[in-house]
Amino acid sequence: MKLIEALKTLQSPLPDGAQSLRVYLACGFTPLHLQTYLAAHLRRLMPGHASEIKTGLFGDLAGNIERLNPSEFDVVAVVLEWADLDPRLGIRQLGGWRHHQISDILISAESTGERLNRALAPISRHVKVVLSLPTLPLPPAFATRPLHSAPEQLKLYRIMYQLAETLAGQVGIQIINPLYLSDASAASSRYDVKSDLLSGFPYTLPHASAVGEHMARLIGIRPAMKGLITDLDDTMWSGIVGEDGVDGISWNLDGHSQIHGVYQQFLASLASSGVLIGIASKNDPAVVEQVWRRKDLLLSREDVFPLEIHWMRKSDSVRRILSTWNISADATVFVDDSPAEVAEVQASFPELVCRVFPRNDTAAAWALLHELRDLFGKSSVSEEDSIRLRSIREAVVWRQESGGSGAPSEEFLRSAEARICFDSGRTDDPRAFELVNKTNQFNLNGKRYTESEWHQLLEDPSAFLTTATYDDKYGTLGKVAALTGTIRGRTVDLKSWVMSCRAFSRRIEHQCIRHLFEESGADLIRFDLVATERNGPIQDFFRSLSASPPGGIVELTKEDFFAKMPQLFHRVEVSTHA
Amino acid sequence: MHDLDERLIRCFASVFPALSQEEIENASSESVGIWDSLSSVTLAAVVQEEFNVEIEPDALPDLDSFQAFRQYLNVR
Repeated sequence: MKLIEALKTLQSPLPDGAQSLRVYLACGFTPLHLQTYLAAHLRRLMPGHASEIKTGLFGDLAGNIERLNPSEFDVVAVVLEWADLDPRLGIRQLGGWRHHQISDILISAESTGERLNRALAPISRHVKVVLSLPTLPLPPAFATRPLHSAPEQLKLYRIMYQLAETLAGQVGIQIINPLYLSDASAASSRYDVKSDLLSGFPYTLPHASAVGEHMARLIGIRPAMKGLITDLDDTMWSGIVGEDGVDGISWNLDGHSQIHGVYQQFLASLASSGVLIGIASKNDPAVVEQVWRRKDLLLSREDVFPLEIHWMRKSDSVRRILSTWNISADATVFVDDSPAEVAEVQASFPELVCRVFPRNDTAAAWALLHELRDLFGKSSVSEEDSIRLRSIREAVVWRQESGGSGAPSEEFLRSAEARICFDSGRTDDPRAFELVNKTNQFNLNGKRYTESEWHQLLEDPSAFLTTATYDDKYGTLGKVAALTGTIRGRTVDLKSWVMSCRAFSRRIEHQCIRHLFEESGADLIRFDLVATERNGPIQDFFRSLSASPPGGIVELTKEDFFAKMPQLFHRVEVSTHA
Repeated sequence: MHDLDERLIRCFASVFPALSQEEIENASSESVGIWDSLSSVTLAAVVQEEFNVEIEPDALPDLDSFQAFRQYLNVR
């Protein structure tokens, strides 16, 4: 983006009701055009947000971070350069590059790295932190030729990566991948020595734009895709199993089909991080069944569910898979080697991300894998991720055993041996935050929170956060519900309530309300209900409890609730943290 | 209007969006209240990028009006 475009972008009017985004840009140099570019890229990527960027003092990155109050910001964007670790690694401060002085620079850099770690780690527990590692070249301060890596240079890299590794382990910190940035900004075109000396801004304009864009992309909230539906022939493997036979298909070097093995390996990696993998293939199911027995297959039969293998339209298969998963098309990717099949599916599901698996073009297939990783990338893999597919399989068994898609019978619920564990007092539960920000259907008001807003909500002395974990004789669903609000006197104000769609039809929502009344001692719960396009299930729940259609604040007295509450069969366990 | 003038007006408009075209053509650091050191550096960066020129640091203090920029670019 050219600077003139960035300035014009910032002059364009904001939409009505734009949400504020308070960003602290922490850097040791004059933020100048980087601030402009960061704001412009945020505006482009998050058009519904009005970003307000504040900066600190020149030449004091660590001090700026130490002084900032995280509750005043939604995001902290840290741009680290070598001169921040020791000013002598820049050229605005002359301190000597004699050989014996280099060791002192290393000691100082190590000490600053530790200081940055101490300052950033606690901040990341309150607010999202995005970090850009040094992007500029080291100065010609070392005895070796620039081509020859000096041990001192390598030690500086170790200090930097040690800091990055430690910080990357914190839940709230995301670090820009330096290699990814290299694609957008070549290392040799980043440093503007004239600007550095003249104004204290060391970046060329294209580099400032690239850093601003990458920071904005990490700052932006983009939920990861949840499911991938894949074809088999000439996609998962090379060849057509119905014609070539089970031993005639391949995914190896000898068959010049290794990229299909890489794709299998990639799908297995996605599955292990909680992504749902389904199969939509026009094939004979009995033949495909034999392929699963091949020992060299990298994706296990257990990694995929459901399998739609027949000769019907692919769009029908996709519809059934989405229904089984109970997720929306816009959270799903479809991959098939046939452009015609992709077009047919795309026409039925315009929101679905559809991709053609490239035939005989390994470079394009490799690029596709990178794109898919970008779509499915997540900051961390949770315990719930590891049980997601299993619980969906179990939900299908549940539906079959309970007599179909309608409400299960009293007898079935009684015999399910269901157990709900309520957990209160843990305000740092990342699963609760994740649930609130990705649940659509059973969601009180659809409100999404930044880390900072979430922490502020829970810092209120009267605030509570309760989560519910469910299992029954059919399996475990994990942590499926989160409720947060305030308790004042004998009234609960519920500000957020979400429940995973996997947990429907088990009366968990009733047990949540019962638990809330009993634990809080309240006589009244006020629900901050907002009808959204997708929260029909929670609206239905309120309709079942209230004679009037829901809208705005819904009030429910304890007396009314217990009069209308159906019989509950769960065994309830409660744990409270101080 | 000369192509250079049009492009230079666009540069000024990006830094001083509240000014009309006529005000831009008569703009100087004295007549435009919000023309400060940050505006000067931003304006110089925008002009350098737009016209693909290198403005020497010594020339910057004299580039304090639309006409000064115009003359500077005309001789390059």
